[in-house]
Amino acid sequence: MSQYWPFIIIGLFTGSIYGLAAMGVVLTYKTVGVFNFAYGAIAMFCAFTYWQLHDSWGLTAWVAMPILFLVVAPLLGIALEALYRPLTGLSAEVVIVVSVGVLAALEAIVPIIYGNEDRRLQAIFPTRTFVVGSHFHVGYDQLGTLVISLAVAALLWALLRHTRFGTSTRAAVDNPDLADMVGVHGDNVRRSAWILSTMFAALVGILISPSQGLDVNQLVLVVIYAFAPAVFGRLVSLPLAYIAAMVLGVVESLLSKYANSGTVANIEAAVPYLALFALLVIMGGRLKEAGASSRRLSLSTRGGGGSGGAGAVRTRHWVVRVLGWRLRLDRNLALGLGGFALALFIPLAVPGPRLIDITAAFVYGLIALTLVVLTGWAGQISLAQFSFVGVGAFTAGHLSGPHGQHFLLAVLVAMLVAAPLGILVGLPSLRLSGLYLALATLAFALVMDDIVFNRGDVSGGLTGITVPRPQIFGVSFSGRASLYELVVVVFGVVAVIAYVVRLGPIGRRLQIVRDSPLAASTLGVNLTVTKLVVFAVCGMVAALGGAFYGALQQAVTPFDFMWSTSLTLLLLVVLGGRSLISGAMIAGAVYGVQQLPIPASVNQYFPLAIALGVIALAQEPEGTVAQARREARRVMTVLRPLPRRSVGGVREIPMTSGPDVAIAAGSPPRGSGHGL
Amino acid sequence: MASETGWEEPVLRATDVTMRFGGLVALDDVSLEVPAGRIVGLIGPNGAGKTTMFNVLTGLLEPTRGRIDYLGENISRWPPHRRGRAGIARTFQRLALFSRLSVHDNLVASWESSHPGAVLGRSRAKRIERVAEVMGLLDLWPVADRMAGGLSTGKGRMVELGRALCTDPRVLLLDEPGSGLDANETAAFSAVLQAVVSGRGDRHPDVAPPAILMVEHDMALVMDVCSSLTVLDFGRVIARGTPSQVRADANVRAAYLGDASAV
Ligand SMILES: Nc1ncnc2c1ncn2[C@@H]1O[C@H](COP(=O)(O)OP(=O)(O)OP(=O)(O)O)[C@@H](O)[C@H]1O
Ligand SMILES: [Mg+2]
Repeated sequence: MSQYWPFIIIGLFTGSIYGLAAMGVVLTYKTVGVFNFAYGAIAMFCAFTYWQLHDSWGLTAWVAMPILFLVVAPLLGIALEALYRPLTGLSAEVVIVVSVGVLAALEAIVPIIYGNEDRRLQAIFPTRTFVVGSHFHVGYDQLGTLVISLAVAALLWALLRHTRFGTSTRAAVDNPDLADMVGVHGDNVRRSAWILSTMFAALVGILISPSQGLDVNQLVLVVIYAFAPAVFGRLVSLPLAYIAAMVLGVVESLLSKYANSGTVANIEAAVPYLALFALLVIMGGRLKEAGASSRRLSLSTRGGGGSGGAGAVRTRHWVVRVLGWRLRLDRNLALGLGGFALALFIPLAVPGPRLIDITAAFVYGLIALTLVVLTGWAGQISLAQFSFVGVGAFTAGHLSGPHGQHFLLAVLVAMLVAAPLGILVGLPSLRLSGLYLALATLAFALVMDDIVFNRGDVSGGLTGITVPRPQIFGVSFSGRASLYELVVVVFGVVAVIAYVVRLGPIGRRLQIVRDSPLAASTLGVNLTVTKLVVFAVCGMVAALGGAFYGALQQAVTPFDFMWSTSLTLLLLVVLGGRSLISGAMIAGAVYGVQQLPIPASVNQYFPLAIALGVIALAQEPEGTVAQARREARRVMTVLRPLPRRSVGGVREIPMTSGPDVAIAAGSPPRGSGHGL
Repeated sequence: MASETGWEEPVLRATDVTMRFGGLVALDDVSLEVPAGRIVGLIGPNGAGKTTMFNVLTGLLEPTRGRIDYLGENISRWPPHRRGRAGIARTFQRLALFSRLSVHDNLVASWESSHPGAVLGRSRAKRIERVAEVMGLLDLWPVADRMAGGLSTGKGRMVELGRALCTDPRVLLLDEPGSGLDANETAAFSAVLQAVVSGRGDRHPDVAPPAILMVEHDMALVMDVCSSLTVLDFGRVIARGTPSQVRADANVRAAYLGDASAV
């Protein structure tokens, strides 16, 4: 037994930090309805700030701590509250996108403010150990952390139990309108919750950094460990979350005892993610999203005006519209095909090295397209799309043969492997949506990182493996230009298929599953089949993209497909426009631009700009495209010579005959109960 | 309340349905029948369990106890989509439109969802015909190209009705179709409903007019169109019968206390 104690103690130490993080996450979710994906990034930001104050500027802890906890954290909390306040009542998807945006923004800001050099944060407790019993050592820092964590947890618990803040917290979640009516100031409650939660993050940051290292990505990842316990407490119970975090810490630590013994290599690192995935699948239907009932039904509140983009199509007579989908060559498709034809000639105009970047943009666009279909059309959020890309790339690397002569075979195998994986990721979607689905896919991506891509026989470990350029039916695509043409053709074919499918019955089916799954199911849509098929197909195409990704880079490592790459993909797709094929192309283009040889001093601002753009455009399903269209329309109205009646094509269908009341979606006058 | 003909099997029948949410008994041993060719009303105060009953009938909720029969077959274990395909259609009290599709596409998608093989592009001619017919019946052409999410409640309810009709239902469950409608819309709606049940306005010979089960707070509308009523209160059936019988019932008056003057 005694050989387990050291591991249990380490486990309690890390568990107590996870516990704090879990409580911080639960606090904002239960009070404000925001699941804070950026929690780790906030902890990280606070840790860096503390490093700056304490280690760099040499302030004593007695000065640095109050600055951190009483100035920096509250200000950050207030800023976050202000950021999320306008999003109250919007769909889970928007809130997730914004919080991933905040994560990316903080990750981008830290190197800009604090620089890139390596640094360590001094432990706030002495690192000496004392001996308990006969022979095992306990660090003062471990004990200190445990004590602080327990004390703070108890304090929070008491606060929620015995103060007005606690009761108003509950009132605010259950029914914000009612809470306002009975005089609870919802705004104050929300702000207090954000401040408290941010202070917890700061504490997590400075407690964990000394042992984990002050590294942007590492800290974010560690806090993701806390998501599993938070979900265990169903995102509402603080004590459950805290206890589960302790248990998780201990289990993980005990497993690490065996980790080095061979077969189960790295399994302990994946435990929290496996736990998260399993919890979500098992608890499935019983998980309810906070405030879901008070949520507006759709996000297209701007309806009518903004989204009449396919104007040319929509104004046609219905017969043409209904009959024509198979043969239609509408304006969008014509534009697309024109662009495609032009794209084929790019190699004539662009020097070699840049051509690779453009090819990369198309490959990325292809991958982005799968997320457009999955998230933008079918409404299934995925934070794991790059795991499929990884499957494609590694399979291509292993099976293509030395000269890429088996490339087609490798692609086929990769897609066959991706399909069941897609179904596996899709499984949680049968019972979960929105936030919980996002968490499940994130867990999946992390599991793939830790137990698949980390294996030497899969990925070649840190050094990665090489992937040859493809050779198809004896034709070699090893030259830059030929590879480019191949990629563009593949992208074009997939995009046209997607476009045609979208306008047809399958596209409609995906969109009705997105807009109202319940209504769709009562009309006869088998949600299970629909969701699993779309996850599988999108996974397969992402794997196809992965094979080209590998062939283009010629060497891939696990880092290329790390969980965070999937988050970046989501951000770029939202930025471009998640419901449009052109949105995927913009995502690819933005990615391509980042590949260009731009000085790092400039390049480091790109991620920040992207993150801020995403936060601004999160509510707009057509992202930049819609924005650009609005701007263009504004310019056009100014430039238009004379105000004529019925400009831009005669509508064949007259507008409403009755009173034309276009109330914004989601705010219909509720039914009034008339007496009998 | 067997149908008048006595020997005819009702289209839809619920037997002793109980639904608990934790400690709350939303439905307590509720039975009801919807005979072919009739409009049956399901009424009761707020929170009585009417919507819950609809959710149980359409399979969105699995009842704690009880059984559902449809055309003489026990469908208690059927998933929602199977019931939808078999001919049970519904509308939602809280509009559940496909908000980012056009009105026309809402109906088309509905037809495609309920007809096997349609998602692969089969039987398009039939689809076009049927959808056009329903669009005409409900006077939806003027808004055919509008995004459903931007419609007024009145039009939205019409779209939901149209969507339900496109599945060629044998029984139609309407959850407060009159709420949020103005007087003109209500009158138009009542006329449409009559037309639907009588089969007028439906040129389709192969589609029998559906029976209707309707939840509605607007008593004028209920009295106008329903041939029989079931009254729920706190999950229990407190009265049933023809509209005039129900109107005279003492239990019902008590349940609607305070609103009794509105009778
Ligand atoms: N999914 C659910 N979980 C928990 N309770 C529920 C659920 N659905 C309904 N209820 C509860 O069941 C009871 C009946 O609700 P229901 O919506 O069926 O009433 P209703 O008769 O349709 O009322 P209204 O006229 O307001 O529409 C209510 O107390 C409601 O809060
Ligand atoms: Mg109801």
